[in-house]
Amino acid sequence: MDKFNSSDDFDVIIVGGGVTGAGTARDCAMRGLRVLLVERLDIATGATGRNHGLLHSGARYAVTDKESAEECIKENMILRKIARHCVEETGGLFISLPEDDLSYQKKFVDACLAAGIKAEVIDPEEARRLEPSVNPLLTGAVKVPDGSVDPFRLTSANVMDAKSMGAKILVYSELVDFIVDKDRVCGIRVYNHVTKAYEEYHAPITVNAAGIWGHGIAMKAGIKINMFPAKGSLLVFGHRVNNVVLNRCRKPANADILVPGDTICVIGTTSSRIPYDEIDNMYVTPDEVDLLLSEGEKLSPLLSSTRILRAYAGVRPLVASDDDPSGRNISRGIVLFDHESRDGMKGLITITGGKLMTYRLMAEWTADLVCKKLGVDKKCRTMDVPLPGSKAESVEEISRKTWVKPTSGQKATAGRHGDMVSRIRQDNEYDSSLVCECEEVTVGEVEYAFNELDVHNLVDLRRRTRVGMGTCQGELCACRVAGMMAQAHACSRKAKENLKSFLNERWKGMYPVAWGDTLRENEYSQWVYSGVCGLETKED
Amino acid sequence: MKYDVLIAGGGLSGLTAGIRLQKEGMKCAIVSSGQNAMHFSSGSFDILNRMPDGRMVSGPASEIDNLPAYHPYRIIGKDNTVRLFNEIKPFFAGCGIGLTGSVEKNSYRLTPTGDFRPTGLALDDFVLLETKNGSCSRKVMIVNIFGYLDFNTKFIADALERNGMECGICSVRLEEIERLRKNPSEMRSTNISRVLDDDGICGKFADEVNKLLKDEECVVLPAVFGLKNPGIVDVLRDKVKAKVHFVATMPPSVPGIRTQMRLKHVFEEAGGRMFNGDTIVSAKCSGHRVESVFTGNFGDMELKADNYILATGSFFSKGLVSTPDSIYEPLFGIDLLCGESRAEWNNLQFFSKQNYIGYGASVTGNLQALKNGEAFDNLYVIGSVLGGANTLYEGCGAGVAIVTAMRVAEIIAEKQGE
Repeated sequence: MDKFNSSDDFDVIIVGGGVTGAGTARDCAMRGLRVLLVERLDIATGATGRNHGLLHSGARYAVTDKESAEECIKENMILRKIARHCVEETGGLFISLPEDDLSYQKKFVDACLAAGIKAEVIDPEEARRLEPSVNPLLTGAVKVPDGSVDPFRLTSANVMDAKSMGAKILVYSELVDFIVDKDRVCGIRVYNHVTKAYEEYHAPITVNAAGIWGHGIAMKAGIKINMFPAKGSLLVFGHRVNNVVLNRCRKPANADILVPGDTICVIGTTSSRIPYDEIDNMYVTPDEVDLLLSEGEKLSPLLSSTRILRAYAGVRPLVASDDDPSGRNISRGIVLFDHESRDGMKGLITITGGKLMTYRLMAEWTADLVCKKLGVDKKCRTMDVPLPGSKAESVEEISRKTWVKPTSGQKATAGRHGDMVSRIRQDNEYDSSLVCECEEVTVGEVEYAFNELDVHNLVDLRRRTRVGMGTCQGELCACRVAGMMAQAHACSRKAKENLKSFLNERWKGMYPVAWGDTLRENEYSQWVYSGVCGLETKED
Repeated sequence: MKYDVLIAGGGLSGLTAGIRLQKEGMKCAIVSSGQNAMHFSSGSFDILNRMPDGRMVSGPASEIDNLPAYHPYRIIGKDNTVRLFNEIKPFFAGCGIGLTGSVEKNSYRLTPTGDFRPTGLALDDFVLLETKNGSCSRKVMIVNIFGYLDFNTKFIADALERNGMECGICSVRLEEIERLRKNPSEMRSTNISRVLDDDGICGKFADEVNKLLKDEECVVLPAVFGLKNPGIVDVLRDKVKAKVHFVATMPPSVPGIRTQMRLKHVFEEAGGRMFNGDTIVSAKCSGHRVESVFTGNFGDMELKADNYILATGSFFSKGLVSTPDSIYEPLFGIDLLCGESRAEWNNLQFFSKQNYIGYGASVTGNLQALKNGEAFDNLYVIGSVLGGANTLYEGCGAGVAIVTAMRVAEIIAEKQGE
């Protein structure tokens, strides 16, 4: 390592704590680099945590974008191996409805097979048996190896592994500007929102992995990337209507994927261009909700009578090719810019575009380029080395090994943390008492997250443990956890502020769908937190 | 089956009306689905804390005439409202429920999150402070039941310390309560309370508390005592060697459930009939009269009465129903005061005033329901299914529930007497 400039703190700085940044940090750390990752909020807060959580088989892209399809199926198989505890092997169906052109099915299957995706036509009767919630009017079905993947868990596992290899991870640290020496980026200045201090870090290479925010980050180095924010809205339903991923067998369109995950299922997405200055303030509109519902009911009519828990939206970081400033030919593929060759700015790389599914490949390409620039000759191993949580056996085996007769709650915990479950204290019955009944999260698990998973507030905790992600959306568990936090930090003011932000965040998701049972749930919350608690009261 | 009065809804309002009517010699039945707002109550009875424009109220009576004309207090009229305010304490005392505080001047209660919220009256388990900065003693010991997560001692301690009290925090472990843990979700208020209802176990609890005490003048406990055995509160107060104060817990509310059970008991003792675990599913009307109603359990058998009272609560209790583009009252389809579109119903800020909470039935001066602008002869509306008051924002939920119930009972009694 001594061949690097000794005044540099790190070999590489990564900006952005989404799955791409986290994956890049892990890959670089595995290759022996000294890594710093900075993230302005918590990990997985951008597009990473705001999508379907679909483990694409690639079938969706087979007809329109063979390259993406091939990348997807390869990564799909790799993630099943290295991130077993984040993946659920549900399988997927592409269904044709009476209004769809059934002849598309043949074209679709051929394209899948050409891309290396196992696609099998089954008859509608078998599809109904495989997935009883499917629209019974279906005229055709194709079985593909789709699954679901928990993006929070996946990001957290990458961060955890990077840290175990010496990487420094700074959350709530926002890039203010680059430290530039003539034509070279040699570091960054960040504002640390936790310590409320400005800090400087140096490294020969900085990677911009900030997703759609990468547009603004690049601007700070005087570089223009032609990005087009594309908003996608989704709805979360109150229980797991389907166990198999449901897609429409037609050209990709709006709201045609229904993905089961843990205790819920998600329909999405819409797609609309939004101005860059709106990316931090996204609201799901009534029109989007209507569209998602009407299209979703075509996949599974049960959705019309299922309670909607919340609505959310993410922004895809789409990039127009450099020779197309109008943005008409936008690629959904991976975009890796070496700003030295592209813009004459040394020491800066941007990795963007791509998908949750291809995060590992994006990280691999990026780490390859970083190593090349640093003159490090180390091969990528992330396709073979399992992530923490998936290092040992299957979730079933972990549960059986940890508890002789695991309960459903213990299985859920093992599902969330894989083999890291051994780090969760369960010495006595208090550790095992439930904080969150919907998702069966225990006191021990919450404490583990507070102590070891960089949890700064209740919304972070929700991403690490699913506290408050279930049917009641954190009705009472939020207050329980806030109480635990107040005790742990010996300060109730911060915990209460946290509780308020959690409730506001929760309501922001419920607001677009606030009718029926969702409105009832909110009325109850209002009475509990305003009425019983008076939480909005100002302290004198 | 034929009654003088049939009441839909067994919450605070429905039970109050039922008891008053039964005591007037009328034969009443209450159809109650089971849970109601009292199950998550704070144990306080708000009268009027805040005006619709946000101004805080210290004496409710003098502000009645400043409320909008469609507010239930205005519909009843100031004189009736104030007269009935003054009957609340005696009425509850007559039911064996002690209340503290005053309807004339608001005071403050300590909440589970360590905030001070105004209220008029409260169950006498609780202590009310005259000001937000008040204190009840110099040195306090806050005692929790070990591992009970719905009572956050640190929140309470910080609040009391802000007001100049010295606080210690402890917890007590009792073998009998620990047994609840065999099931990880059983450490909840009502389950704990069932164990502590036993005189012997509660005595043991008091002994453990005494061991923790040094020179504290006062002990603060979670309000999880006396679910089915209200006398246990006195046992505890007697045995603990310091003043005992309770602070409400997160739901379910033990004092709230106890109060509801007590009111139910009084109603039944007076000869009233409870149909528990049942709901009215449809009604037969002719002209301006309700002829009969049908319930889930009775099926085809109709329930008849001379008069009907709708006390079905708000959205949470399903007294009102919302769809993506409308709000309606599901039993009779009566006229409502409510906003047109969803954008009006809700505010994006959780803690801001949410208009939908103020929605509900539009009524005549005698609290009769209206349909297409015409009044029903024998259908009355009380409690939170009434529109015109944002009971949460204004802090008037219990007051509206009780005085509208009492007023309708008077109106029906007068009518029957004619």
